[in-house]
Amino acid sequence: MANRVVITGYGAVTPLGLNIDDTWRNLIAGVSGVDYISLFDTTDYKVRIGAEVKDFNPIDYLDPGTARHTDRFAQFALAASLQAIESAGLKIDESNRYDFGILVGSGVGGLDSLTQQFQNLSTRGPARVSPYVVPMMIADAASAQVSIKTGIRGLNLSLISACATGTDVIGIAYKMVKWGEVKAMVAGGADAAVTPMGLAGFAQAGALSRNSEPKKASRPFDQERDGFVVGEGGAALILESLDYAKARGANILAEVVGYGATSDAYHVTAPLESGEAAAKAIEIALAGIDSDEVGYINAHGTSTPLNDASETRAIKMAFGDRAYKIPVSSIKSMLGHMMGAAGTIEAITCCQVINKGVIPPTINLEYPDPECDLDYVPNAARNADVRLAISNSFGFGGHNSVVAIGRYNGR
Amino acid sequence: MDVLDEVKKALHKVNPGLDDGKIVPGALLKDDLDVDSLDLVEVAMALEDVYSLTLQEDEMDNIKTVGDIVSLIEARLKVKSG
Repeated sequence: MANRVVITGYGAVTPLGLNIDDTWRNLIAGVSGVDYISLFDTTDYKVRIGAEVKDFNPIDYLDPGTARHTDRFAQFALAASLQAIESAGLKIDESNRYDFGILVGSGVGGLDSLTQQFQNLSTRGPARVSPYVVPMMIADAASAQVSIKTGIRGLNLSLISACATGTDVIGIAYKMVKWGEVKAMVAGGADAAVTPMGLAGFAQAGALSRNSEPKKASRPFDQERDGFVVGEGGAALILESLDYAKARGANILAEVVGYGATSDAYHVTAPLESGEAAAKAIEIALAGIDSDEVGYINAHGTSTPLNDASETRAIKMAFGDRAYKIPVSSIKSMLGHMMGAAGTIEAITCCQVINKGVIPPTINLEYPDPECDLDYVPNAARNADVRLAISNSFGFGGHNSVVAIGRYNGR
Repeated sequence: MDVLDEVKKALHKVNPGLDDGKIVPGALLKDDLDVDSLDLVEVAMALEDVYSLTLQEDEMDNIKTVGDIVSLIEARLKVKSG
């Protein structure tokens, strides 16, 4: 029989804080984490802004030797996962280490490590390539570090679906727990794409905002939006079966009640304009659930002209006229686009909305776009009693992924 | 700078957390310093740069201690100058 799946802990390292509490306080206050890039010299770049994680010290989570041989994205993943495990009060020891699994994904993996070593290869030759280049760049370096550091010895996987990664890890972990493959699972996403190659690549693809005012650049659903702001960070949740959570006396924060994933079968970067496949993902996530219960939608809301319009159409297609009554907000307006971590921090935000009764705003919503005519919770947080929320994530490649998260009813 | 100091520097570069007092000629790389085979490749690369020489893989295969690295470098330097 299928297990009910609950969330018992979460953690994050974001451009608005090195933990959930700081990040949440800033999200509710409508603070922007976007600024001029400080990690490298952007003189020759057409885009010079990003949402960086500030003051992160990997030595807080790793010994100095391992930290040096671990890409920043994997450091973020590890930090978020350890925070999540601690907040869930999950104790891993000899008796249970095979009962738990890890699914930590990344959109671009160790892009910076690969780029740096390629520079060594091209300027100094093959004998000057670090022996650590492969273990640093592979996307599963993050899940590997979580396993090594926690001692978890069950299923250990990574997953890649570009900017939908952070939602798909939760969806697949949910299925694994639901069908009893594992008792509990660390589900996380991480990326560190504020790098020379990341910035150049996304800028060349025309995906990034050219806005010269950093705090105003990420403006989802606003008529003046002109692209996303590249961000970075890590986020993770602990999913476990309700039975296991109860048996160990865990504090239950929310319940995962659905997951839907579809593919556009259309274009590698542009979303399907009609929003049809995205709407279908929402419908699958809410199968068997009264969709009238949905009281909040955490939007993918990247601030690109195409995404925000097609996502709006998808929401209307899925909910009909009720779409206009559901608060929808994009925290990318404040965090920038955390790539593989985005869906994870956004699902955590749904849990926070359900438990705290406050919806974080979409900031920089100044000029309404006729194509984006829903209630985007503009510019100021709003109190609301939300029992069921969904989080949308879409990614290059045409991925549409949606998780549905409900308040735990205590039974 | 003598060879031991350069080896220390190379080891520190690979693992900034290493306790300097522990890096003595008799120290076992793996057991005492937690320097694994990948770390050793990086140490070799750093020393190759310092001394402008190329260390062969089979030369590195027998390295067990800090002193082994020092001896290898010293032997190679002698060949070079002699």
